[in-house]
Amino acid sequence: MITPFQVAYKNLLRKKVRSLLTLVGILLSTWVLVSLFGFNRGYEAALNRDIDNMGYQLMVMAKGCPYEAATLMLQGGKGLRYMDQSMVDEITRQPGVDRVTPILMQAFFDPNKGDSGGIAGFYGVDAGSYPAMKPFLRFRKGGWFHDNAANEVVMGYEAAELEQREVGDMTMVPEKNVPLKVVGILERTGSQDDGTIFVPLKTLQRISQTNQITTIGIKVKKDADMEKLENTLYQLKDVQVVSFSQVKQTVMKLIATARVMVLSIAIVAVLIAMVGVVNTVLMSVLERKQEIGILKTMGAMPGDIFRLVWTETLILCSLGGVAGIGFALVFARVTDLLARSVLPYAPSGGLVAIDLRLSLLTLAIIVSVGLLSGLYPAWKAGRIRPLESIRGE
Amino acid sequence: MRNAFLQLVLLALLLFGLGAAPALAAVACDLNNPERDVPRLFPESTSYKTSYVSIPKLGGTPLLRRIESRLGVQYLPLYAPIDVPYTLYEVYRDKKKIGYIHGVNQKGQFGGIQVFMSQDLTGRVKTFYLQKITGSAASKFREAKFAKKFEGLTLRDFDSYDPVRGKGTGRVAEIANPSPELETDFYGILRGLKKNLILMDEFVFAPERGKP
Repeated sequence: MITPFQVAYKNLLRKKVRSLLTLVGILLSTWVLVSLFGFNRGYEAALNRDIDNMGYQLMVMAKGCPYEAATLMLQGGKGLRYMDQSMVDEITRQPGVDRVTPILMQAFFDPNKGDSGGIAGFYGVDAGSYPAMKPFLRFRKGGWFHDNAANEVVMGYEAAELEQREVGDMTMVPEKNVPLKVVGILERTGSQDDGTIFVPLKTLQRISQTNQITTIGIKVKKDADMEKLENTLYQLKDVQVVSFSQVKQTVMKLIATARVMVLSIAIVAVLIAMVGVVNTVLMSVLERKQEIGILKTMGAMPGDIFRLVWTETLILCSLGGVAGIGFALVFARVTDLLARSVLPYAPSGGLVAIDLRLSLLTLAIIVSVGLLSGLYPAWKAGRIRPLESIRGE
Repeated sequence: MRNAFLQLVLLALLLFGLGAAPALAAVACDLNNPERDVPRLFPESTSYKTSYVSIPKLGGTPLLRRIESRLGVQYLPLYAPIDVPYTLYEVYRDKKKIGYIHGVNQKGQFGGIQVFMSQDLTGRVKTFYLQKITGSAASKFREAKFAKKFEGLTLRDFDSYDPVRGKGTGRVAEIANPSPELETDFYGILRGLKKNLILMDEFVFAPERGKP
């Protein structure tokens, strides 16, 4: 015996192109919606990962623009101001501070990079305190510096790849022409560390002819009052405090506008798709008026006709939704790439995280909205008067 | 009609997916700014097309072994896996193809060297460009007069010269090192050039000739 589901399916197949175009509309809107949900979740997770990989929760740096400073710290760069190294001792004395590490970031001009020269960045870190802040870093080969003034470097995986360096090779600080020996190459981490060249702090200070630093990384004690500590650090002279919870909030605010815009587009896309569903099913109902009339004369109740037409909407939305989720999963990396090209700051790692729960949620939204859209055509079909419809033909 | 429409939709999606894939993967060596660099290497060009070739797609491990044997060294790319895609720039003047640009990474004395060369359709070197090299005296390798010495070279010129040992005769052997303190870089550049010529021969010219 043929089921109402099979009847509905066969009805959709009667106008293949029209049904296919409606399906494509639902597919596209589902694709946009699930990708957006995936981005919302993935971006925050990637940002949290980047922040965790910093190894410390607070940063102190010389006064300047905190947003620019935070972005520069996360992405690497130049143009930061300097502060006195005595600040390290002052911060260490504060209650609530577990460990601190001084950092010096320096950029040098390399005339033999690209067509008209480029910038080479070096990250001066304290050989004693920095590795302890990042115990999760693993070496592909070699290890950390032998002392804080050694002419040595440790390279992130991608930096070593670009420079074609192996442990034991020499590298050169451009502009200053100081050769340094590669003593360690890190495993790939998926974070900014991959592209970083680490130099012992005193060595970089000597090369840069400065005894100052640009940043202090602070690891806070587990039971410490973070807010109180931040307020205490704010009282220190000529420095500013950046907590990574602030950085996260700032970056999330930066992309909030983009998220609202994309969400609006997704809602419009869903609405357009649903208008397509109404149009397709309603057209189908109007074309089958006589058939529906005959079904009613044979004993079909308005509720039976309603269910039959509603099933067509259910099939369209379910198939389109599943296909849209499939496309979103297959092309997640493309979406990731597109998002990276337009965002002011994109953390490392995947930006679009689509899982089963998110897929089911999106499918539920699409099917629910679709069924709501299908109410009018189904109700209209249920109200068709048998004799009028047969006579009308 | 309906089938044609379906095929068109599937083809568009397929091209979108395939076209995006190489851009996501690690690439052996890319021009930093092809819009600027291609006309500089090929002044007569009007456009270019980028494509990606990889050893697994063209012949797999036997091809890798053949390339390594022709180069005289093992471990073709340092760090890069066997499936790393190589970027090939096909250069056009109007609709006519006039040559190729291809680059490789090479280990240098103080850092990586990125050696690019432009070739005509017969495989002859038009010029070469060092996109990146490190060292105080490295700028001498980037001078136009040094690049000019490589004009017209072909893979055959390396038959009588071994850039791994730095020994041999012929045109390549006559090229003097403009920066003697950076000997590793000088031989690195020659090895990079030979690697470029061999890869281009395997990727483009040998299939055109119909035999490896």
